[in-house]
Formats: sequence, C-alpha cells, structure tokens
Amino acid sequence: MKLLFHAISGFICALLVIMTTITTYAQDPRIRLAHLDYLAKKASETVDVNIDERLIQLAAKLFSDKDEDEAQIKKLVNGLKGIYVKSFEFDNENEYSSADVDSIRSQLREPAWSRLVNVTSKREGIVEVYVALNGADVVGLAVLSAEPKELTIVNIVGPVDLQKLAKLEGNLGIPDLGIQPNKPKTKNEQ
Amino acid sequence: MNEEYLWDKSGEPDPEIKQLEEILGTLRYQPKPLDLSDEVQPRSRNRYLPLMAIAATLLIAFIAGALWLRVRNKTSPQLHKAGIESPQPKQVVPHVDNEKPKDVVVANKDGRDATPPRIKEIKHPRTLPASNMTASERQQALEAKEQLMMALRLTSEKLNLAHRKAQGASPNQIRNQHKVG
Repeated sequence: MKLLFHAISGFICALLVIMTTITTYAQDPRIRLAHLDYLAKKASETVDVNIDERLIQLAAKLFSDKDEDEAQIKKLVNGLKGIYVKSFEFDNENEYSSADVDSIRSQLREPAWSRLVNVTSKREGIVEVYVALNGADVVGLAVLSAEPKELTIVNIVGPVDLQKLAKLEGNLGIPDLGIQPNKPKTKNEQ
Repeated sequence: MNEEYLWDKSGEPDPEIKQLEEILGTLRYQPKPLDLSDEVQPRSRNRYLPLMAIAATLLIAFIAGALWLRVRNKTSPQLHKAGIESPQPKQVVPHVDNEKPKDVVVANKDGRDATPPRIKEIKHPRTLPASNMTASERQQALEAKEQLMMALRLTSEKLNLAHRKAQGASPNQIRNQHKVG
C-alpha cells in the first residue's frame, strides 16, 4: 500500500514538473519561424536574422556609451533575450500562402499574446502588432506584415520599449541596407 | 463419563478431561502485547524513502528537461547571419579595411551593392584590451551588431508602418487596437 502511495506521489511530482515545463514553454514569447524557410527559394530578397541573448550582449559591448545614439540603442537592447526576423520580398504576388500567415498567427494567441494593432487592407495586405505581457510589462513583441509581395515577421523576446523602438527609424543613423529598394509605393503612408 | 460436560461444561467432568484441560490450559490465549525477540524484529523502514523517491523523480525530470533543451537548441537553426539573397549574385571584391568590418553582403535586386562589404584582416587571434574580447569574438560581435541594427531598423520600420496605417485607415480596417497596461 505504501509502495503504491510512493509511486503515486512520485508520479504527481513528475507530472507537476512536466506541467511547469510545458507552461513555461508555452509562455515563451518566441515564435517558431523555421517552417517559412522554404519561401527563401521563391523570394527575390530575404532577410534572416537570428540573434540570441549571448550575441545581443556581445554586440552591445560594441555600442559606445559616449555616442548618444548608440547609447540609446544599447539601452534599448539591454535585457533582450533574442531578436528574430524573417523577411521575404517577392517579384510576384501570391508567392506565400495564407497558411503561412496563419501558422504565425496561430502562435500569437491569448493569453500569452495581446494584439495591439491589426490593420487589414485588401490592396495593401495586413499589418499586425502583438505584445506578450507579463502583468503590465511587455516581455515580447511580434510584428506580422503580409503585403502582396512581401512577408515580414519580427519577433523580439524580452522587455521592449515600443516607443523608443519606433523612434529608431531614421533617427539613430541606422543604415539603410537596401532591403526595400525604390519601388512604386502604393501604400498609404499618410 | 459425563458427556454433558463436553457440550456445555455442566455436570461433573471426567478426571482425564480435567487433566487434559489443565495441561492444555497453559497454552490458552493470554491478552498481552506481542513480545518478539530482537532477532525476529522486522527491519524498520527508512523514513527518508519517500523524500528520496521524490528527489529522484525530480532529478530525473530535471535531467530529462535539460537534455531536451540541449537537443532542442542543437536542432534549432542557429543562423547567426543576416543577408539579402539576390537572384543575381554579384561578385564582390572585398578590400581590406581595419576600421569597421562588414561581412554582410547586401545587394539589391539589380545587383547593386547597398553597402560595399569590407572584410577585416585577421592575422592572429589577439585579446583586445579595450573590450577584453579576442579578435574572433570581436568579429562575431560586429556581425551580431550588423544583424541587430538591421533587425531594429526593420522592426522600427514596420512599427511605424503599422502606426501610419492605423492612423490613416478607415475605422473598419482597424479590427483591434487598444492600449497596453
């Protein structure tokens, strides 16, 4: 009888550990992007960024504290646990499927994720911004941008300051790497 | 012989019966605590056994979790690179520069290089006194920095795009928008 009790208690303990692990894994604000790699063959331009915490810390050492802009970036990336980006730009429309978009969207569900913005346009595609919250703290960010000829997914793991991040564009000398060459803009940028 | 005595102990008992009763009476049940000698004492159970069982279970679960994480990290793609893949790759002639090296090749669709790549010449790994990084670490850090800047630029661009679209979009285009906190 006691042996049975010990077996049951051991099983319950193991179950608790497994459930805790699963819960922790489920709350991980990192989204899986590897299944989209096949799109690289179709894309005319591909951006694939995988930076884990170690590399972020390593890169942060190169940012100068004296330079105001670099100090801001250093402050922004400090504490981040990972930055993952996949961006595919195609010559033609409909190169990626709605299932590709849904596979990302399915990972961005409540309660782990909250959708901040969802702008849908038949002509211009969709832009969705999600944040992972721990209480009132943002612990993850995901941006899903699906345009007719472009699919971009950004996933930042860790505390993110959205306002500072949005201010980066064009303000901090972040180089334009020609990811989006001059093309007829049909987007409503007003 | 009085047989009634054998049934209900009534009447006069037979002397032999009486004698048998006296002999066997010594073996009659006596209510007293069981007195076992030390040799036949059962081994006391280890009272720490349940705790040890739980600890062993937790240890096994921890090891299994660690192994799983290790395998997962090994199998997940560790692409510490960022690049623009062009359908028309252009030959890039690197030139040696000791300033800020960039090994990220970026080319537009038409084959023009957005940023001419520069490769830092590394002869021997050495420790940099300023940052306490070896040359290889510094190279890795520079690559990471390039990726980081590219990722931040893209993220910032997309956030601003979302912001602009949300501001310019008609109400039915915005499906969900609320503040955090």
